[in-house]
Amino acid sequence: MDHDRAQATDAPTQIAPVMTLTGIEKSYGPVHVLKGVDLTLRRGEVHALLGENGAGKSTLMKIIFGIEQPDAGAIELDFLGRIKIDSPRAALALGIGLVSQELSLVPQLDVAQNIFLGKTDATRFVPRKHYRLEAAKILAELAPHIRVDSRVEALGMADRQLVEISRTLARGGRIIAFDEPTSSLTPAERDNLFRVIARLKEAGKVIVYISHRMKEIREICDSVTVLRDGCVIVSGNIGRYSEDELNNLIAGRQLSEEIAARPISAVQLDGPVSLEVKGLTSERIRDVDFRLQQGEIFGFAGLVGSGRSAIMRALFGMDAITGGEIHVDGKPVAIDKPVAAIRAGIALIPEDRRGHAIVPMMDIEQNFGLANYHHFTRGGFILGRKRKAEIRRMAADMHIRPDNIATQLRNLSGGNQQKVVIARWLATGARIFLFDEPTRGIDVGAKSEIYALLRNLAAAGATVLVVSSELPELLMLCNRIGVVVAGQMVRTLSNDGRLNEEVLMKYAALENVS
Amino acid sequence: MSSAQKDSQAMEQQITAKAGQDLAAKGLAGRGDAIRKASVLSGCIALFVIFSLLTSSFYQPSNLLDIMLQSSINAVIAVGMTLVIMTRGIDLSVGSTVGLSSMVAADMLSHGLLAGVAAGLATGLLCGLINGLLIAKLRLPDFIVTLGTLSVFRGAALIYTDGQPIYGMPPAFRDIFAGHLAGIPTPVLFALAIAGLAFVVIRFTALGEQIIAIGGNEEAARLSGINIDRIKITVYTLSGFLSSIAGFVLIARIGAAEPIGGNGFELQAIGSAVIGGASLFGGIGNPLGSLVGALTLGALQNGLTLMNVPSFWQYVASGMVVILAVYADQATRQRR
Repeated sequence: MDHDRAQATDAPTQIAPVMTLTGIEKSYGPVHVLKGVDLTLRRGEVHALLGENGAGKSTLMKIIFGIEQPDAGAIELDFLGRIKIDSPRAALALGIGLVSQELSLVPQLDVAQNIFLGKTDATRFVPRKHYRLEAAKILAELAPHIRVDSRVEALGMADRQLVEISRTLARGGRIIAFDEPTSSLTPAERDNLFRVIARLKEAGKVIVYISHRMKEIREICDSVTVLRDGCVIVSGNIGRYSEDELNNLIAGRQLSEEIAARPISAVQLDGPVSLEVKGLTSERIRDVDFRLQQGEIFGFAGLVGSGRSAIMRALFGMDAITGGEIHVDGKPVAIDKPVAAIRAGIALIPEDRRGHAIVPMMDIEQNFGLANYHHFTRGGFILGRKRKAEIRRMAADMHIRPDNIATQLRNLSGGNQQKVVIARWLATGARIFLFDEPTRGIDVGAKSEIYALLRNLAAAGATVLVVSSELPELLMLCNRIGVVVAGQMVRTLSNDGRLNEEVLMKYAALENVS
Repeated sequence: MSSAQKDSQAMEQQITAKAGQDLAAKGLAGRGDAIRKASVLSGCIALFVIFSLLTSSFYQPSNLLDIMLQSSINAVIAVGMTLVIMTRGIDLSVGSTVGLSSMVAADMLSHGLLAGVAAGLATGLLCGLINGLLIAKLRLPDFIVTLGTLSVFRGAALIYTDGQPIYGMPPAFRDIFAGHLAGIPTPVLFALAIAGLAFVVIRFTALGEQIIAIGGNEEAARLSGINIDRIKITVYTLSGFLSSIAGFVLIARIGAAEPIGGNGFELQAIGSAVIGGASLFGGIGNPLGSLVGALTLGALQNGLTLMNVPSFWQYVASGMVVILAVYADQATRQRR
């Protein structure tokens, strides 16, 4: 790795850096997320930041935007020298903005109010008229179609991003970071965003661009830094690397091996049907049909917000089902709340682990037991010995670290937390597993363990449903992949070895496939 | 640009100052649990030592027993409050529940001991059940529901006898709720037994673990199939039930039931729970700790009285101690 890094050092560029990060370290409990990251950002460049989920990109952006503090390392700004960025408010004052997947706008306020939010002096009256004029001036260049007096909640995702960019510009922003900005945009909206980025670049701003989409990165970025497992693998001019090279750098050897091991139509799709969904409809999905068999891994591809997760939410009783039928092992089931889904043998391993799956201050044993009180209680009392024996056995099988089952979940890495959640559902005897972004926030090493767990589940006859934004992950794991667009499943594709990311993306963006 | 520069410089100063605090908070958080337990006991012991040094009568056995007796009403309520707080809830109506259930009990005692006790307990249960149903089923905020019922239950207690107190408790009733057993006041025994029982529930039963799970992460608990509504209703009902027992002790000791009985008890109970290590952010708490918390507040009031501090000032002191305890909770809480 050190060898790689030495090789990658670029010849000094003429343009002076605007922001320099050196030796940035960050840990969350025992998890070392950034291991001495260096990053140099120059005037008028679009800098791609690449890496898998869990490589540390988002954490690095959070540090630049003041949401997180580095444990060690220095941040220097050209006109100020070494600085500390303590809060997003401080970052904005320093001319640094972040356009992230979770936008920080207040939906109930209008566009002008949002653009000047936080800039207002609390002790004075808001000079609303002045702000509206200023906001209108900025929007006129960036997005003339947005009205300053529209409420933000009435705007689509693309327009909200533009408002967020405007907000940064209103503070004299010089550095603007984009975290997966196109994941929920249509192609037309994406093209417009790229025009905006090109204009910002011309105006001498620094753009940091995080994305999984290799194509768009090649299209708009000048330089690139690849992170893997918290380390900078390469950093330099993007023209020096081919797409394949970048993909290999991002994944390391690990993923290429996984892909090589991928089952190409490995399962004969003529076994007993375990889950059949007919015309499933909720507030966010419409008329979704599919039939899945025991032992099958079925993937859902689509843009963020297309309804992939909403299908899972409906199946698990989190969203009200307004139409359609669900049959488990040929029998119709009514799922109106999570308990009903659990009784039908369905398990959900949600995307937001911290928010939806674990109780951080409870230990491994208790988190394991959360869905299993009927197995491990008698007369209301917990059968501690029986439960401990069971989780110890599973923890050993699944290589959960640390192996002390009295460890609080907040002290486990993402991958180990995920294993505890999976163990919980295995013990319920669930036969249908819904995985929503199963490897989000999990480091590279643990990913392959999670993949192995998914495959073992299927091999043992369970039915596995996977939502993932990482298309290589779906292509590697799934027997079939359904593409979801605007709440509907537009295509079901057999993963026969010819299927690739490009085809999936085209369907997901509703473009014609020739 | 220059204004931005100035802005950022001023900000940097703030930033560095705050970084120091953050670091301190982080250090605490790492050993938060151990510190929590140690500080509960050491705070209580420190208070006892200080008052023993400042006054000649504080440490006398008869006075210490007095403190336990005086704290026992609050301790019983605080145990119920602890369960509620552990689910990340709050019950502000406990004082009014004490008032209403003790008025009903005092009135029904004229029909016999059993009738009085049963009617009082039923009133407490009903008050708690109403809170629980409103919070769990109608999804109303616990703070508002119990603030509302604080007023409703108090009003009901006043309406019940048109504001008149009820005098004279039967001797048998006073023997049970304000008597002695083997030289120990029965209220103290009640408090010990109730706290011990609650500890067993929290520590060894599914109900206890589910209470912690709901307070720790309600959504994760719900998605694991835990019946959130049932458990919330259970803890609020228990809180009402325990308030009625506290009410019995109150009227047995005074020998009369007043409709304004129990006024202000909610702060004492919340304070005891938090001093005892319960976190208002949910998921953390210990009924035995709350017992120590109640003793601490009791010792504070007793000591200040012995030092001839006017009772008006004692309100100020207990309020400040409660705020201090909440601050300590916030500082030792894991930041993420």
